[in-house]
Amino acid sequence: MDLISLYPTWYEPTVGSGWVVALIATFHVLASHTSVGAALLFAYLSHKAYREDREDLLDFIKKYGLFLLVFTYVAGSITGPGIWYSTTVASPNGIGALIHSFVWKWATEWVFFVIEVVGVYMIVYLVGKVDKRTHMKISVIFGLASWATMLIIVGILSFMMLPGKEQWFADGGYLNGFYGTNTFIQLGMRTAFMFTITAVVGGIVIAGIKDPAFKKEMARKLGWLGIISTIVGALMFQWYLTAVPEQALLVMENRLPDYFMPSIVAVLAGTLAYFIITMIRPQTLVQGFAGAMAVIILVAGLWPEETARESMRKPWVAGQYVYSNQVIGRDVPGMDIKSQLPLLEKVGILKAHPFTPEHLREVNEGNKIQAGEFIAMTYCSNCHSPSETGIRPLHRYFPEGVSQERVAKYVKGVLTTGNIAYMPKMPMTDSEVDALAAYLVLNNNGGQAAVTAAIDSEIAQRDRALAEKNASDKVAALDFVQEVK
Amino acid sequence: MDASQVAQVTEMMYALRNPAGIPTFPIIFIGLGVLTFALHILFVQLMLGTSAITLYGAFRENAYWRRLGAAMLEIAKVSVSVAVVIGVAPLLFVQVIYDPHWYTSNVLSADWVIAFIVILILAYWAMYYFYFRNSKNADKTAVPSSRWSMLISLALMLVVGFIMHSLTSQILHPELWKEWYMQNGKLDYSGDQLHAFNIWRYAFFISMSIPVTGAMLVTYRRFKSVREDADHDYLNWAAEVGKKWIKVGSVIATVLYVMWMVTLPETAGNFATSIWGILGGVAVIGYALWAQLRLRGEARFCSYMALPMALVIGLVVAISREILRYDILNGFFHYDFFDYKIVMDWYSTGLFFLTFAIVGGVVLSYFLTIAWKSGQTVGVYTPGAGVNKLGTLSIWIVVLWIIQFFVVGFYVWAQ
Ligand code: HEC
Ligand code: HEM
Repeated sequence: MDLISLYPTWYEPTVGSGWVVALIATFHVLASHTSVGAALLFAYLSHKAYREDREDLLDFIKKYGLFLLVFTYVAGSITGPGIWYSTTVASPNGIGALIHSFVWKWATEWVFFVIEVVGVYMIVYLVGKVDKRTHMKISVIFGLASWATMLIIVGILSFMMLPGKEQWFADGGYLNGFYGTNTFIQLGMRTAFMFTITAVVGGIVIAGIKDPAFKKEMARKLGWLGIISTIVGALMFQWYLTAVPEQALLVMENRLPDYFMPSIVAVLAGTLAYFIITMIRPQTLVQGFAGAMAVIILVAGLWPEETARESMRKPWVAGQYVYSNQVIGRDVPGMDIKSQLPLLEKVGILKAHPFTPEHLREVNEGNKIQAGEFIAMTYCSNCHSPSETGIRPLHRYFPEGVSQERVAKYVKGVLTTGNIAYMPKMPMTDSEVDALAAYLVLNNNGGQAAVTAAIDSEIAQRDRALAEKNASDKVAALDFVQEVK
Repeated sequence: MDASQVAQVTEMMYALRNPAGIPTFPIIFIGLGVLTFALHILFVQLMLGTSAITLYGAFRENAYWRRLGAAMLEIAKVSVSVAVVIGVAPLLFVQVIYDPHWYTSNVLSADWVIAFIVILILAYWAMYYFYFRNSKNADKTAVPSSRWSMLISLALMLVVGFIMHSLTSQILHPELWKEWYMQNGKLDYSGDQLHAFNIWRYAFFISMSIPVTGAMLVTYRRFKSVREDADHDYLNWAAEVGKKWIKVGSVIATVLYVMWMVTLPETAGNFATSIWGILGGVAVIGYALWAQLRLRGEARFCSYMALPMALVIGLVVAISREILRYDILNGFFHYDFFDYKIVMDWYSTGLFFLTFAIVGGVVLSYFLTIAWKSGQTVGVYTPGAGVNKLGTLSIWIVVLWIIQFFVVGFYVWAQ
């Protein structure tokens, strides 16, 4: 048999699996960057406390910091594996490609995670229980270890968009996949972002400072940190755009919503304004305001970034060789990986999928809609939800009342040939094209209700046929028994 | 099942393997997976058991139990974090070697996989809620407020553990995967069900919380008894409870282990009566025996051995558990992880082991020394010159690691 590495599909009709991943990822970046930002700030304060022998600063860390640190740290450390789990169910081959190339890099990152976890509890629990110098050292190690985890993950994330060097395709090798122009720019960008967060989150912390002179001093420092890192980050983003594949830019230009650029500019301007205000008038910094601003600025900055990253990678999900719909669409001689497209062209998707149920391996009149749904789930649902809502719902792309012939023609002419840059090439046999078109039209015109009804009637028919066959077998068997007698 | 059905399952599992291969010998991943799983489950058990004590203490009208409950809450909080962070390692390794199985199992129960994350966060926050509601109160014998939150926390943690268990169990039934993908004759893309579990196996892993937490109590007495302000009556009482828990708990766990072995699927062949099947149970009952013999009275040395012993026993069980998986998947279904395609990558393999040994080793020794010493000191702990040097060394080692990251990176980039 000719099977390729395709898993079952998870379909979440309301928001779609893609948004579930994005939601968890955004929450994770928010929580983890906040905790790293808070920790860096504490390292600084702890250092100052040690240098100037100031009890009040350590008390301050204890009073305001712990709560913040613990909550964001807990959420960050669970949503970290959470991203993993969610991409596992949304895109098993995407995460599988990353895991199999970078397992040791992740394992290395894990060493730093362990250091972080132990470190964070020590920072929290040992205030006042160890001397200031030791506390400072622990804080510094925590800050550095956190940055190290970022260094590692950024290499992996940028591989998702594009392997470090073109050479990776030919020669393979972890280093070629990991390091590249893209990696370093992203690193700068994310580090800048981390400092912006530090500055924003720092606002929450220093809002609690009673001594006006010290509060002013800290507001100044954080303000400058925030302004510089925001500007550097924005410049890095411009540079980043020059280093991504042309394909991605094309998708960006054509496909991102119109409000995307203006909203980015608005977020930038708002962030800068916020820092300037807090520098000039530190008394405006109260915890509620600072906390609300932190969430607003971060979410407004993060969500578009996550969306852009999701769109720009299309049609690929990892390393420019695994399609979003889990099919390997390109040879990678360096890793001895073969494109799965030739096989799909030969036998079609239904025969190549290990999880195709027996009764759907051949399309016929009695299973057309089920087969069509199976194909749509496999090939399309990662990028287009077949439901009303969710990611790029399929029904939006076909006009109301479209005919099955037109859809079939489109599928065959455009999708099976891979003629559209942002969609994968999706080979199908003629009968599969037929089934998919029948399903798409039904879904388009009658929605999920019509699809469910059609499938139920297909199944009822199948069961009836099966019962009849069983009955006639029995009759035959009876005849046989009679004859023997 | 006949031979051709088995052959179909075998073919499917092999087809699902990631074509990128793996960067070093498969046995290394299995070994690390077993080791880190043993650590993961140890901290899971510690966290469940200490949470249970906190809860019990909160509802008992007994000053010692109350104090013990408050003290164990500190351990529970840290243990969750440690269990989670250590859990990441076997999570990584299982999907390197058993990716066909792990991914299928996860996707088929996707809603639960997502729920796992949400429930875990809620469980952890509930625990912290209880903590923050009560930590300000210096009188640790008072009736704690918001006891419900601790109850919720423990209950949710058990749900999380059950999800883990079910995902692991589904791995062992490749013959049912395609059936699970269909419900009532129709394809089911929703991932809203957990399809397999073995209640005895789950109960066994959870029940090990009793002896493991007993070991924690014995250690707790030993550790705190050197402090100048130690309350020896209270500590001795706690240690006696601990000894009882080790002995009784190990017996309970052994019974559950036997039930697990009795209820193994047919595909496991005669694993239950094989050497590793028996050894797992023997190790667990052996713990009760060890406690009976070695934990008499003060047991100044062996009290510190109680937790390491629990880890060793957990390791034996973890090995049995892994061999069971191999026996089913290879023995019956002919999926052999040893023949995974290797695309050797020495650099990243080496970098991991060096980082693990040097960075992990040095920094964690520094951290743990400080934690240990300060826990035994009344007032402020000021380390001596040696420990201080270790701290400076730790910082420099992390800095050096970061420098090598960039040096290697720029070199590769410039090539
Ligand atoms: C890798 C992700 C991906 C997959 C898989 C995918 N598409 Fe698309 N598709 C896109 C993107 C991105 C767009 C552009 C969206 C937009 O303009 O809003 C698009 C647009 C479309 C359009 C609009 C036509 C056009 O010319 O822009 C149709 C129709 C469509 N897809 C159908 C399908 C069908 C049917 C499948 C499955 C057989 C499929 N797509 C699979 C990403 C994908
Ligand atoms: C705090 C809640 C948790 C509990 C109660 C828990 C409990 C368990 C249990 C009981 C098992 C054994 C299942 C079996 O073999 O039958 C297990 C295995 C496992 N757990 Fe956890 N766990 C928790 C959190 C986590 C987290 C957060 C992760 C990942 C980051 C994780 C990763 C794993 C892995 C990878 C395995 C082994 C799977 C395998 O080898 O097949 N666990 N866990």
